[in-house]
Amino acid sequence: MRRFISQLLSSFLILSLFVTFAPSKSWAYPFWAQQNYENPREATGKIVCANCHLAKMTTQAEVPQSVRADSVFKATVKIPYKSGTTEIGADGSNVPLQVGAVVMLPEGFKLAPQDRWTDSIKEETQGVYFTQYSDERDDIILVGPLPGDQNREIVFPILAPDPSKDSNIKFGKYSIHVGGNRGRGQVYPTGEKSNNTIFTATIDGTIASIESGEGNTTLVTIEGTDGEKTIEKIPVGPTLIINEGEDIHAGEPLTNDPNAGGFGQLDTEVVLQNPLRIYGLLAFFASVSLAQVLLVLKKKQVEKVQASEGI
Amino acid sequence: MHILKKPDLSDPKLREKLSKGMGHNYYGEPAWPNDLLYIFPVVILGTIACVVGLAVLDPAMLGDKADPFATPLEILPEWYLYPVFQILRVVPNKLLGIALQTLVPLGLMLIPFIENINKFQNPFRRPIAMVVFLFGTAVTIYLGIGATLPIDKSLTLGLF
Repeated sequence: MRRFISQLLSSFLILSLFVTFAPSKSWAYPFWAQQNYENPREATGKIVCANCHLAKMTTQAEVPQSVRADSVFKATVKIPYKSGTTEIGADGSNVPLQVGAVVMLPEGFKLAPQDRWTDSIKEETQGVYFTQYSDERDDIILVGPLPGDQNREIVFPILAPDPSKDSNIKFGKYSIHVGGNRGRGQVYPTGEKSNNTIFTATIDGTIASIESGEGNTTLVTIEGTDGEKTIEKIPVGPTLIINEGEDIHAGEPLTNDPNAGGFGQLDTEVVLQNPLRIYGLLAFFASVSLAQVLLVLKKKQVEKVQASEGI
Repeated sequence: MHILKKPDLSDPKLREKLSKGMGHNYYGEPAWPNDLLYIFPVVILGTIACVVGLAVLDPAMLGDKADPFATPLEILPEWYLYPVFQILRVVPNKLLGIALQTLVPLGLMLIPFIENINKFQNPFRRPIAMVVFLFGTAVTIYLGIGATLPIDKSLTLGLF
């Protein structure tokens, strides 16, 4: 019995250690989406990263126009930003931007197994670690956060499914949803603001005092028009743009907007192509060309008759 | 080699028609069978080949299932409706937007009456009609491009 209890306790300890430290691992941020959403794409087409990364910036994606069954191809996600851009870390210091990306593949498509990666894929994905979204969804691949300056282009090696092996898969065109992010988010999944966003006044009034609070925070006291005081707690990071004694209205900014990053998403498409269809098409094109040539030759022949008969 | 039928100017009927600017189908290359029987099928086959090629190489895709309770993030109609969609989108009042849409058929109804006393067919000799047409085309293209841009850039096209 004692042994059982000590086993139980130690497993609890390990579990709690894991729960405490796992989110602070380097891949912590897509983890929040994995924790909170079964499917990272909402019914409106919005990828849930945009719920925390409120700023919008462009993301580009390159995929082949068509791929063969059971082939490995590259999908490239580009997350452009000005190199050398820094943002505010959680402790208020300037840190370089990090990037992350999500690729939502059509049913049956998945990350290519490592033994099928070509040399160029191995070279281009060096230092990139791919995770699948959840045990059930191997068609959703996550990457990041990675140091942004070396990873503004992320290559995803993808394996196309084979309709001859799985009768649920059909040849045809399918859409791929891509999201790419650079920089930290503006809110946490719990709804709290991060220090990488703009802080605004919640009531009308005047700034009564600006004091520093515990843990490098700044406490801005606003005296409302009815005399009631409200304290706005501003974490380290954003710079105050107001002074004591100034009038302020609800919704007006108290700080600058330190955010330098943003999230962007787009839909692209890929054709799962059957080579037999291409051969058939080429044969059809050949027969059409032949028919056209014969028609023109026949016309020339008729023209000779017309010329001899005098039209 | 070219088969060309010369106009029979001794025919008074043809001369009458030519004097009215008609009858041009009475001479030149005969339509039957040279064009209709031989060249038309060449064009028809070429068109079919283009359509089949596109259908095989770039097949139509089934999009997301429709959900009346989830409006997509970006809504856009078919490309030929971009300009009128842009009118609806930028006008603050929906009723006003609908009213402005009726301007499109009303404007088209005016066409027969614009400069209809001008005896020339040549567009370069119909300055008012030409200016109205070019202005309408420019506005349509401007509105169409604006429809594809985010709403805060759609009026300036992000240029200013």
